Amino acid sequence: MIRDRVDQMLSDYFKPAGGAVALAPQVIRRAEGADRDAEALLDRLAVSATAEGVRLIRLGRQARGESGAARRLIERAREELHDYLRGRRVYFSVPVDLHEAPEFQAKVLRAAGDIPFGQARPYAWVAKRIGHPGAVRAVGTALGKNPVPLIVPCHRVLKSDGGVGGYIFGTRLKGRLLEIERTTPVLEGCTSTRILCRVGCSHLRRARPENRVVFASVEDARSVGYRPCRVCRPAQVA
Amino acid sequence: MDRERALMRRVAQGDGRAFTDLVEAYGPKLMAVATRLLGSRADAEDAVQRALLQTYQAARSYEPRWAVSTWLYRVLTNVCVDELRRRGVRAAHAAAAGAEEPAPAFEAPGDAGRRIDVARALAKVPREARVLLALHYVNGLGNAELARIRGISINTVKSQLARGKSILRAALTEGGQA
Repeated sequence: MIRDRVDQMLSDYFKPAGGAVALAPQVIRRAEGADRDAEALLDRLAVSATAEGVRLIRLGRQARGESGAARRLIERAREELHDYLRGRRVYFSVPVDLHEAPEFQAKVLRAAGDIPFGQARPYAWVAKRIGHPGAVRAVGTALGKNPVPLIVPCHRVLKSDGGVGGYIFGTRLKGRLLEIERTTPVLEGCTSTRILCRVGCSHLRRARPENRVVFASVEDARSVGYRPCRVCRPAQVA
Repeated sequence: MDRERALMRRVAQGDGRAFTDLVEAYGPKLMAVATRLLGSRADAEDAVQRALLQTYQAARSYEPRWAVSTWLYRVLTNVCVDELRRRGVRAAHAAAAGAEEPAPAFEAPGDAGRRIDVARALAKVPREARVLLALHYVNGLGNAELARIRGISINTVKSQLARGKSILRAALTEGGQA
């Protein structure tokens, strides 16, 4: 590039900043004290499924599914939960079976399911969305009995004052899940295929970690020669 | 470069001293890139910490055919770009809820209104080009390394930088600065 006035201004502007020296001990402390509660949660979870989808996730011992289809769904749900809790998945593709949920609760759960990964909404937002703006407390109760926590993200619903609110697996874990979602990238491209995926897509899972690049939007990725994946369709969510 | 790779091997073995040396060597440059991309020092520090945490935890899987700096910048830009995505989402949600979008907070350390002009002009440059400009001007990184860091072709790097600069030039000229 030709050196000119703009170059000079940019060079001045981007001068290295000091003050990063004390970072090393902080980072080492963070690495050693990392909270592994969320990663360990899966070992304590029992997932049960019908042939149609996951119907219940609770603390307990994992039992075998009743049919072959149910067993396959349980295995798939556990894999997806494993990735999610480690910050390697931003969406669930395994179906849920909410047939046993009463109508009001099913509506609440569907509304909670519309809250995108990494975001949060107040209980009142859910109440308004299902057309019962006065039913904030009932929304809280319905979410508290969420049959499929994590997959239906009731942890993304918070109190209006910004407080975390209750959670089936404890408030501490709710905070930890929100933290995981705050630090998990959503869109990653594979440098060898130049395909952009949502994190967790099966296509991307085959890409080595050093071949992954994060993008802020589908348009950004397109502007530098990446195309959206046809399997996970990132264009529909971001 | 071999010295750096030896340093990385020690980091992988859990050598805290080696990690401190690495942070001292690259910390200020990483901070500069992050500060310029994210606009606030606090956000930049958080991003650099998260990037360093990732490198520390992944040191074992470090691929020695890469320069250490390439890897560090890749991890850092990944963190910063995702943070920029998150801000876009927050702004869109706030706008939908009828709240006014907060003006971007650009840091203007000490001296000049000129810095603010550059910051304003940079805000008009598309995100990918802005990331490349920051990496190029903080560190004088060449096109080939920029291409590896962002996983794009060298020609794309060239065209993005040229386009970014022409947008900047136009914006600064408009303001009577260049």
